[in-house]
This record gives sequence, C-alpha cells and structure tokens, in this order.
Amino acid sequence: MSTRDLVLSALFAAIIVALGLLPPIMLGFIPVPITAQSMGVMLAGVILGAKRGTIAVLLVLLLAAIGLPVLSGGRGGLAVFAAPTTGFLIGWVFAAFVTGYLSERFVKNSQGAMLQTAGFFAAAVAGGVVVLYAFGISYLAVVSGLGLTKAFVGSMAFIPGDLVKAAVAALAGRAVMVGYPLLPARA
Amino acid sequence: MDVRFDQAGTSFDGRTAVHPLSLSLTERRIGIIGLNGSGKTTFARMINGLVQPSQGRVTVNGFDTGADGEAVRGQVGFIFQNPQNQIILPILREDIELGLRGRKLTRGQMQDRVNGVLARFSIGHLADRRVHELSGGELQLAALASVLVTEPPIVILDEPTNQLDLRNRTLVERTLRALDEDVLVISHDLPLIEDYDRVLLFHEGRIVADGRPEEVVAEYRKIAVS
Amino acid sequence: MRSLYVEGDSRLHRLSPRIKLILLIVVSLALFLTRSPIMLGGAAFAGALLYGSLGMGWREGWLRLRPILLTIAVVALATLMLNTVEEGVVVLLRLTTLMLVAAAVTATTPVGSFIGEISSAARPFERIGLVRADDIGLAVGLVIRFVPEVVSRYEILRQAHRARGLKLRPMTVIVPLTIQTLKSADEIAAAIDARGIRGHKPPSRS
Repeated sequence: MSTRDLVLSALFAAIIVALGLLPPIMLGFIPVPITAQSMGVMLAGVILGAKRGTIAVLLVLLLAAIGLPVLSGGRGGLAVFAAPTTGFLIGWVFAAFVTGYLSERFVKNSQGAMLQTAGFFAAAVAGGVVVLYAFGISYLAVVSGLGLTKAFVGSMAFIPGDLVKAAVAALAGRAVMVGYPLLPARA
Repeated sequence: MDVRFDQAGTSFDGRTAVHPLSLSLTERRIGIIGLNGSGKTTFARMINGLVQPSQGRVTVNGFDTGADGEAVRGQVGFIFQNPQNQIILPILREDIELGLRGRKLTRGQMQDRVNGVLARFSIGHLADRRVHELSGGELQLAALASVLVTEPPIVILDEPTNQLDLRNRTLVERTLRALDEDVLVISHDLPLIEDYDRVLLFHEGRIVADGRPEEVVAEYRKIAVS
Repeated sequence: MRSLYVEGDSRLHRLSPRIKLILLIVVSLALFLTRSPIMLGGAAFAGALLYGSLGMGWREGWLRLRPILLTIAVVALATLMLNTVEEGVVVLLRLTTLMLVAAAVTATTPVGSFIGEISSAARPFERIGLVRADDIGLAVGLVIRFVPEVVSRYEILRQAHRARGLKLRPMTVIVPLTIQTLKSADEIAAAIDARGIRGHKPPSRS
C-alpha cells in the first residue's frame, strides 16, 4: 500500500473519530439531530473506495480495542465489543467495504450530478444499511436469544435515520468528489 | 553539498513543472526565490528524490536520487512548508524517535540522540508535549529537530518563515544561521537569504537568474511587477 | 485523547497482554457454554470483584461502563419480556460479565503494549506481503495525532458559519472538513517518505 493511501485511511479514521466527538448536527428539514459517526462509515466508502475505506474503519475499531475512547459518547476499550449491539460495530467494516466497492462501480466521472448522487446513495444504502443491519441483527438475535424476527423488529426504528444518513453521505460524497476527487482509486 | 542536475526535468499530468536543466550546487548556503507556482518546490523535491525526474538524472553527494533513493534521503533532510503536516506522531519525543527507528540503536542511544537534538534547538521542554498544542515557531523548530536527528549533511527548507510572527521569524532565522549543515532555503522572505552564497530565481519552471543575492533579487523585483 | 489504561501494579497489570487476550477469549467462550443463572451469577460477581480491584475508583469505573451497560439492560429486558425471565437474566449476566472482564483487560494494558502485541501478531502476514507490521503503529499514531486537528478545523468552520450568520448543516460542515483534512494527505505522505520512515522508494509523482 502506498504511503499516500495509508495516510488517507488514517486521516479518514481521524475524521470518523472526530465525528463522534462533535455535537450532533441538525438537518435542515427534519428536527432530528444526526449523530455522525455511523455516517462516517458510509462516507469512508463513498469517498475513499473499498480498500482505503475499509482500512479507515478497521483503524477506528483498532483504536477502540486498544483502549482509546474513540467511539461516540466516549466509548472505547474491549468492553464495547461485549455489548449486544457489537454486531453493528463489526458490521461497520463490511459496510464500508460494500459501500466503497459499489461506489467504485456505480459512479463514473462522465455521469451527471444526479446520477452520481444516486449511485452513491444506492451504494451507501446497500453497505451502510442492508449489510450493516444483516450483521447487527444476526449478532443481536444470537446473543440475546431473541431470534431474527424480534431482533429485526427491534432494530427497525433506527432504519429511517440511517436512510437519511445515507442520503447525506451520498450528497457529501458527490460534493467531495467534485472538490477533491479520490475515486476512482488513484495508485 | 554536491548536488548535480544533468538535463533533469519533470512533468506530470501533462504539465512541465521543471524544464530540463543542468547545474551543480556546491555552495554552503543557497536560496531559491520565485513567484508562486514557478517550480521552486518541485525543484527542491527533486533533490531529495520525492519527485523523480521524468528525464535526465539528479545526484546528491554522488548518489542517484532514483537508484539510491534511500541513501539520498539519508543525505538530505526536508522541512516542508507546513510543519503541521510534517510531524506525524502525537507526542514530539515519539515523533523524533520515529526517524531513528530501524537504525538498530539501543534504547539509551536513541534517548541520547533525541535529547541531544532537542537541546540543540532549546526545545527540551516541549519533548513530552502534544504536538497539536505547539505554536507556529515551536512547530518549525520541532520539525527541524525531527529531521536533523538523523544527521543529514544537507537540509532543504520550504518557506520556513511563512506565517510566523516577528518573534518566531527572528527565532527561526537565528536558528538557521547557526546550522552547521549545508542549507537550501526556498523563501519569499528576502532578508532571510540576503547574505547567502548563491541564489536561484525560478520563473515558469526555468532558472532565469543565478548568482549573488543582490543581483538575483533585483531581477526578481523586475519579474514581480511585469 | 486519554487512553482508558489505569496506572497500577495489580496481578492483572503484570500479566503479558498476550495472555490477557487469550484469557479473555477463553472466558467469553466459557460464558456462552453455560446457561446456568447461578454459575453466570457467580461469574458476574467475580468479574465485578476483578474490575473493582483495579483501583480506578467507583465513579470512574461506573462512568466507563454506563453506556454499554445500558444497551445490555435494554436488550436483556426485551428478552425477559418477549421470551422468558430466565433467558433475560442469562443474557444480562453473561454480557455483563464479559463486559467487566474486557474492561479489566483494557484498564490494565497500556496502548503501547497492545500495539506491540498486534504488530508481532502481524509479522507472519508481513512475509506473505499482506501487511507491513510497522505500518500498524504508524497508522494508529497518525490517527491520534490528527483527531485534534480535525476538531480544530471544525471549530474554525463553526466560527466561520457564525461570522456569516449561517446555521451549521451537515453538508456545509462535513464537505469542507473532509476536503481540508484529506488535502493534507499529500504533504503528510511526502513527509513520511522524505524522512525515510517506511524505508522504501517513494512514488514518482509529487
């Protein structure tokens, strides 16, 4: 891996950590604060692509595991991997990978703005919602003994919020691509 | 120093940053001036091999920047425009040690080298501080320490007094004058280089004046108003 | 960023990080092999004693675990109501014990020892070209170094918004924050290569 890719991944990990420290940002049109860290995972895929995005997320989890309070709310340490929601944390890695992989394939420089944003949105939903919840819900179902159906119903309340985050990530991803293109992955 | 450019030039993304040129730099203190985007930084980066010539070759003290890249980086220390981005680890002492990693030094030797370089720039009190909290002048000295700990005989500084207040500027100037290493300084701060041995003026990727500071600076003033 | 390591000289502090991590894995497997509330209750009690013996004080110890304990409690309560009381109790005790033991390992192992352990675990993969072990420590250091920079960039953006009477919106914060931060990547990478820290030929482009 080139030094530049290593640095890009580390800087993005720093952005994801910082997003957990910053106060929630209000969206303009719905009065719901966005806690931005899980959106950072989608952004990592959308902006950096599969490989660098996945490494950025792995770095955040590594920092948490070795005892740094890098997750939102100042959580950190190995104890965060003992929660019933740990599946969502592990799912971050795969969410970033799938979002990045699909972004690299869906979005082309030759497309118009609408199509690019739509491509990023589809990638973010597939990775950051479908894949993420597949991991999160399966883990929750097993650890709690609730079973898949109940675990799914219990997690459903969070899906609308995550769809909104995917939309923001798609818009931001497209804006960053215009301002500082990193996709398709440069060597 | 003994830096030789042999018909060396570089272009990327279809744009020529430095037109092929031949010269040899042997003076102890050399200044590089020119407008923004004139090729100064690319030229300096070619000297320590960060930018490879797309034609010709560059040698430093006999080492080729392409073939002997590692040896060249042992010869040339580089202080970047923004020292903020130069310091990689969160605590200054850790960052300085990083440059010595892989040199098979014992823990004690490493400590001695680090403490020595900190003392040299009078920044021992900053060793265990968080890099993020250092001021502009402190950062510039910290960057110097982190590069000079590996004892390169040549140091390149890219606009070392940029964005410093008067006190920090004086501090950095004084530190530069006291350096035993050969220095090559890119600067918009003309008084800084007024007593240097040789000054190069870059314009649109070429050297358009080369000689004693006062002559070259006069030439630069003409370009600046044209 | 302060780490969650707590200075001390307990038996757990002196144990090598590798042994602690192996023990943690063994404990977590054992916890999932039993369904007896009595055994799990004993384990939770032992875990609490262990965690309490590290000398970090009650308040600090509680604050660290509160958010995790809350999710465990919510899920245990759901299990208790939707399935059986016994299952709810088992989930609560099992995860609480795991959390306590994991937190004890974190509190007794400095960040540097973890990085050393992970780097040596990565050496075998280095030989097959999958990862460079020294890059792990370098990357972790870079993240810790640049989190405060990102936060100060956010502060500057926030003030810029206020100065122009604008409200903070995700798009007007995240986009410039990301671009500004990633733009410094080129120079940071050049600095790493110029100092020969990764000890290999740098790329030819600027």
